[in-house]
Amino acid sequence: MSSNYTLNELMIIEAARQIRDGETVFVGTGMPLVAAMYAQKTHARNICFVVETGPISPEVLPVPTSVSDAKAMHRAAKLGTLREVLGCVLQRGMVDVGFLGGAQIDHYGNLNSTVIGDYQLPKVRFPGSGGANDIASHAKRILVISPHEKRRFPERCSYVTSPGYLDGPEGRRKAGLKSLYPALTVVTDLAVMSIDRADGKLKVVKLMPGVTLEKVQENTEFKLEAAPRVASVEIPTADELNILRNDVDPGREYLGKGD
Amino acid sequence: MGPKNKLMTAAEAVRRFIFDGVVVGMGGQSIGRSSMCIYHEMIRQNKKDLTLVGCNLSIPMDMMVGLGLVRRTEVGTGNLERFGTTHCWRKAIEQGKLENEDYSHLAMVTRFLGGEMGLPFMPTQSLLGSDILHKKSKGTDKKYEIIDNPWNRGEKVVLLPSLNPDVSIVHAQKSDETGNLVIEGFLAHEPEMIRASKTVIVSCEELIPSDEIRRNPERTTIPYIYVSAVVHQPWGAHPTSVYRYYQNDAEHMRYYQKCAREGGQAFQDYVEKYIYSSSTFDEYLEKVGGLKNYNRLHQEMMEVL
Repeated sequence: MSSNYTLNELMIIEAARQIRDGETVFVGTGMPLVAAMYAQKTHARNICFVVETGPISPEVLPVPTSVSDAKAMHRAAKLGTLREVLGCVLQRGMVDVGFLGGAQIDHYGNLNSTVIGDYQLPKVRFPGSGGANDIASHAKRILVISPHEKRRFPERCSYVTSPGYLDGPEGRRKAGLKSLYPALTVVTDLAVMSIDRADGKLKVVKLMPGVTLEKVQENTEFKLEAAPRVASVEIPTADELNILRNDVDPGREYLGKGD
Repeated sequence: MGPKNKLMTAAEAVRRFIFDGVVVGMGGQSIGRSSMCIYHEMIRQNKKDLTLVGCNLSIPMDMMVGLGLVRRTEVGTGNLERFGTTHCWRKAIEQGKLENEDYSHLAMVTRFLGGEMGLPFMPTQSLLGSDILHKKSKGTDKKYEIIDNPWNRGEKVVLLPSLNPDVSIVHAQKSDETGNLVIEGFLAHEPEMIRASKTVIVSCEELIPSDEIRRNPERTTIPYIYVSAVVHQPWGAHPTSVYRYYQNDAEHMRYYQKCAREGGQAFQDYVEKYIYSSSTFDEYLEKVGGLKNYNRLHQEMMEVL
């Protein structure tokens, strides 16, 4: 146990804990790649990474700047094509966890990484879907990692790039998505939220150590509800922190320099 | 008498195969394997009114948008991942100067898949329920159709129109003079896009004898029948990376990003110094670090293979 950690570090570790050993994990660029690397180096040594440029089962080296970085291809079983990983592996239903990063996330777990404002003349233009829509459409579970800021958590996304539960518990079924009721978990530097299958909305299931529900609400636009039992996110051990800092992101590219 | 020799300079390839108003399929992904030598030449020859299509469009798309050479983009994403957003593209869309149509990456490759097989459309089950279906750009007439699976009533299927670029531009590790390509490392959307394109310009790190291809034909990524022009340009993807050859040049990427973010004179100075006032890509390469820098980028790549 160690008190010498940042919430950003614990967010990455907690997100990694959601991944189980042996699973096939489709990872997006940035934080998801870092958290999945951490999982591979700790409790989930036998996970199969899939990356959208084509790598299948790489042993990712610290720390890729891009999904096209050779560090994300190291010792892969196969360097395939985009169609092979997003089509054959993901769309046909072989991915256990789809792991996505930063975007706007709304009450129904929908993600916006495209625009704020009018589509044709947006106030803010973001990068767009990439593989995110595909990952959220087809993975059996959806895992999202994001810093917790008010503007990132609106009641409804003005543009849904990647589907969560769309507009309620049956939203995905009505839309025709094949992955009907995926478990959907959002891990932030303040809390862990999961979709409640009863109403299709995110509920707080865990809080970061020292963080109150009020503090999470202050940083969330939609009205938060808590699950009946809210646990505290487990503090990282010194070993866990060492692995994260020394083996996963020694240059602190994603862990941040501050704190 | 075998297949014809298609080796030519970047200037000739661009002159012969790229015209104002064409739809350009962009190879590489993000900061990996962009054919910068061909794009620099397109900029020097002022090819304009372009429609740029692909999956993750990055630095060359951003440059051409910044220079006002692009009418429309069709993308999965525009960004440079860890190096940030594509600033010129973002600003152009926010200012209403550029028309853009969004798809997911699987949706884009699905469209190329339809195109390469000579079919008018192709199904996917991505995009359902999302605004990628519901919102479209001004220039798009009909973006999609949802049908009922004829063999399983009630199951929804999205049909997307096939995409056949007028010309695709790809940087390969190896090619022979006839355009038999060996691409190493990630392949992204390129096989489908190349085979869907009406013409294809390839730049390569190494020119290899046709005999080497024909002794190992199972290693050929793309056979010559799809390829129109071959340009031999070592380091031709700088500052993006080429698997097994060199890592991306992070310092130069950050410098470009600084200029693009600032825009105005800073961006103009960048393109003037590195593109317009270089008559060939070799001249550009001299300006961005010379041998010492390249040895370092090569070494960085070797360390992570």
